[in-house]
Amino acid sequence: MTSFADGKPDERALVVAAQRGDSEAFAQLVRLHQRRAYAVCRAIVLTHEDAEDAVQEAFLHAFKALDRFLPDQPFGAWLYRIMANASLDLVRRRKVRDADELPETIPMAFRDPGESDELRRRLNEALTKLTARQRSVIVLHDVEGFTHGEIGEMLGIPEGTARSDLHHARAALRRMLKDVRSDL
Amino acid sequence: MTEIRLFPNDDDEVVRGLRSLYAAPAGDAYWNELEARIMARVADVELGWWTELDRWVRPAVVAAATLLLAAGIAMFRAREAESDLAVETMLASPSVPVSTAIRPALDNDRDTRIRYLFGCSDQEPTCSGQNNRR
Repeated sequence: MTSFADGKPDERALVVAAQRGDSEAFAQLVRLHQRRAYAVCRAIVLTHEDAEDAVQEAFLHAFKALDRFLPDQPFGAWLYRIMANASLDLVRRRKVRDADELPETIPMAFRDPGESDELRRRLNEALTKLTARQRSVIVLHDVEGFTHGEIGEMLGIPEGTARSDLHHARAALRRMLKDVRSDL
Repeated sequence: MTEIRLFPNDDDEVVRGLRSLYAAPAGDAYWNELEARIMARVADVELGWWTELDRWVRPAVVAAATLLLAAGIAMFRAREAESDLAVETMLASPSVPVSTAIRPALDNDRDTRIRYLFGCSDQEPTCSGQNNRR
């Protein structure tokens, strides 16, 4: 049985238990990380549904690869890299499948009625003008709070590239949303 | 490391807009359901025959490597024993002087050449090598 200190799950102990085949320990790891994992996937794919698919695929992959994970390493970083890879794979598959029918806008799954419709519409439009990587980098950094290094590791790009993508993405959004922002 | 934020204020409308667009579903019910779906898929994998196969892959590879190594050693030893035996046989056989082994052939060769030069055949006794030498 996995021991807990101060009622807080010990991640390393959970990982070791999961590696020994304790599926309840793996379920606890899923519980601990699924929100952040979803955020990583959502930053890379275009829709909430794709993010859900990517999260499930990635957790499955992590479960299969668990025996190769060294418990002394940070589990979160390893898991989010798997999440990012699963999401990038999904994006690639979608790109091939939907080559002729690219969406004009990014679908909005969760809509806050209090939010400015104009800003949402323009922001949505502006995001489609960014490259997929720029969009992922700006969301992972500005919305989810990941560092440039973490983003680089997740997306398989150098830290400097993540930094420059972020700079270009922000500049482009500022340029495209300048008039909207001043109207608000 | 200090990062220069182009959207320095958390209240920035663009960042707020982004957070709203990319907001994760709220409510524990959603996350409980997602966890259940993930664990259901994990259970499917756990019960799959390929997991059992995967479990046997490593021991199988180790066993195959051990067998190969053992076979290699056995072959090496057999070859070594064979060459030892060959050397021993050679050393045990009675020695033959080199001249005895080679000269008849040379003599024979010389006789043939002489017969050829003098246009003799083996049937003519006067053309034998011994007669010529005399």
